[in-house]
Amino acid sequence: MTGFKPLDPLLHSQLRLAVMSLLIGLDSAAFTYIREKTGATAGNLSVQLDKLSEAGYIEIEKGYNGKKPVTTCKITAQGVEAFESYVNALKEYIG
Amino acid sequence: MKDKALTHEESLNMITAMIRQAKSNYQKGGSFYFLLWGWVVMLANFAHYYFLSFTSFEHPYIAWLVTIPAGIGSAIYGARQKQQAGVTTPMERLYGHVWAAVGVGIILALMFMRQLDFNHSAVILLLAAIGTYISGQMLRFKPLVFGGVALLLASILAFNVPVVDQLLVGGIGILAGYLVPGYLLKNKEK
Repeated sequence: MTGFKPLDPLLHSQLRLAVMSLLIGLDSAAFTYIREKTGATAGNLSVQLDKLSEAGYIEIEKGYNGKKPVTTCKITAQGVEAFESYVNALKEYIG
Repeated sequence: MKDKALTHEESLNMITAMIRQAKSNYQKGGSFYFLLWGWVVMLANFAHYYFLSFTSFEHPYIAWLVTIPAGIGSAIYGARQKQQAGVTTPMERLYGHVWAAVGVGIILALMFMRQLDFNHSAVILLLAAIGTYISGQMLRFKPLVFGGVALLLASILAFNVPVVDQLLVGGIGILAGYLVPGYLLKNKEK
């Protein structure tokens, strides 16, 4: 396996990869939307979003819609780069 | 979905599936704006034409006041749609910018109607033609592309007829350019 780029461990996990794949084609998405599309539990999703945010791959904004709290996520330039590198590395493995 | 490690094939499948999910979520309800503005502008054009041609009513332009509640209704509907979807796509953002630019153009045409020798209807039809044509191409929806062409033809005709008749041309142009494709789009959204 020498010569192959290692896969980013942060992205090589089911839920985090699902979130990044979803956000790559969107400007922004609400927490509830991501939960609905991934089918994840709120607790698990929250933990994984924090990990992606700490790595600088996504931005999390907390705000209000009337009195209702709303969490919105968007992918960062660093996140896009990491996702593209991951996909390129994956292509080499599958190639 | 849990936080488990993936095989390479599973990763690829996951990426494909999620990108498809995001694609399938393009906001519906684009027909609402064409139908609302189609009816409002068409009726205002015809009412203004009727008042000017068949009555001695002193303020025939009053028919256009109907655009004020329509503008408020549009804004409320847009905000609600955005909240409900919980997501913004790059296409929606671009779509919004196109119509914001058209809107600014229309406001400028109205502000300078005197300088335009009151040919502003023809200019507004041209701006509406551009917005509708681009919307049709973005949504890949041919009736809207043809609607844009119909509005362009109406604009050319309007530049060549008296100001009063421009109202009639405008009403018919909006019927062909907004309402007909708007109903076809609504049908497709179901």
